[in-house]
Amino acid sequence: MRASINRPPTPDAEEDQEKELSLQEIINIKLIESGEKERLKELLRERLIECGWRDEMKTLCRAFTRKKGRNNVTVDDLVHVITPKGRASVPDSVKAELLQRIRTFLVSAAL
Amino acid sequence: MSAPNDDNASAHSQLSSHFLAGLLDSIIVDVASECHRIARLGLDRNLEEEEEELRLSTQARVMVADPSNSGEANSKYVVDIFGQTHPAIANEVFECMNCGRAIMAGRFAPHLEKCMGKGRKARLKTTRSSTAAQNRYSRSSPVPAYSPYSNSHSVNRVVNGTTGVTGEDFVESTFEET
Repeated sequence: MRASINRPPTPDAEEDQEKELSLQEIINIKLIESGEKERLKELLRERLIECGWRDEMKTLCRAFTRKKGRNNVTVDDLVHVITPKGRASVPDSVKAELLQRIRTFLVSAAL
Repeated sequence: MSAPNDDNASAHSQLSSHFLAGLLDSIIVDVASECHRIARLGLDRNLEEEEEELRLSTQARVMVADPSNSGEANSKYVVDIFGQTHPAIANEVFECMNCGRAIMAGRFAPHLEKCMGKGRKARLKTTRSSTAAQNRYSRSSPVPAYSPYSNSHSVNRVVNGTTGVTGEDFVESTFEET
């Protein structure tokens, strides 16, 4: 994997805050460039379908749509409807698997 | 050596969680967007039907709870949870696949018993070839040369030779006979 960003970490304490932000950005860019972000997203999507999470969210959307009226719903409405339950109801095994893969990536990318 | 690694690990964990949350939010938006599309295009045909079904089920509940519809007394006119009545004997008529007659569904099982040859008077319906085979085997039982048959319990009924009482002997004998 060709690293397009090479920056040795600076040990200074005051710069920690700045470094934290840019480290995140660095990671994000590395993930995207290597294609790992896409693979992770696909993996997460697949696991969430398997465990019925997606069906649960769709049911919530349908219930809301029925109440509010088919032509009155917005994407924003639906996002707000499913976000709290969605974030809370991801199975622990799925979370663990994804976190493990991300951590592995971080280690392998020598971050 | 271990301290920097621990910091690294916890930073990694934090970053990983943060990144996972971002991934999840992105998937949530995808799901919301798809549901929005389905809602606006009217692709969800069951949207109104569920309310209809809910109403029907509450209606049925009321009918069941109503004591004037008690089941056991008037057996022929019991109302089930969907409000339907059924006669005691199923009355749909169809064609028997064995004899080709028009049979009532509720009388099909007894008809099949007679039709396919289980009961006393049922034998009249056997075909010529199976009758011939039965006669062949029943004739051979008193003859001492065919001793395997006389020991077998299924002499009169075996037509296709599928029972394996004395498996190998039976097969060989069949070949000898023909």
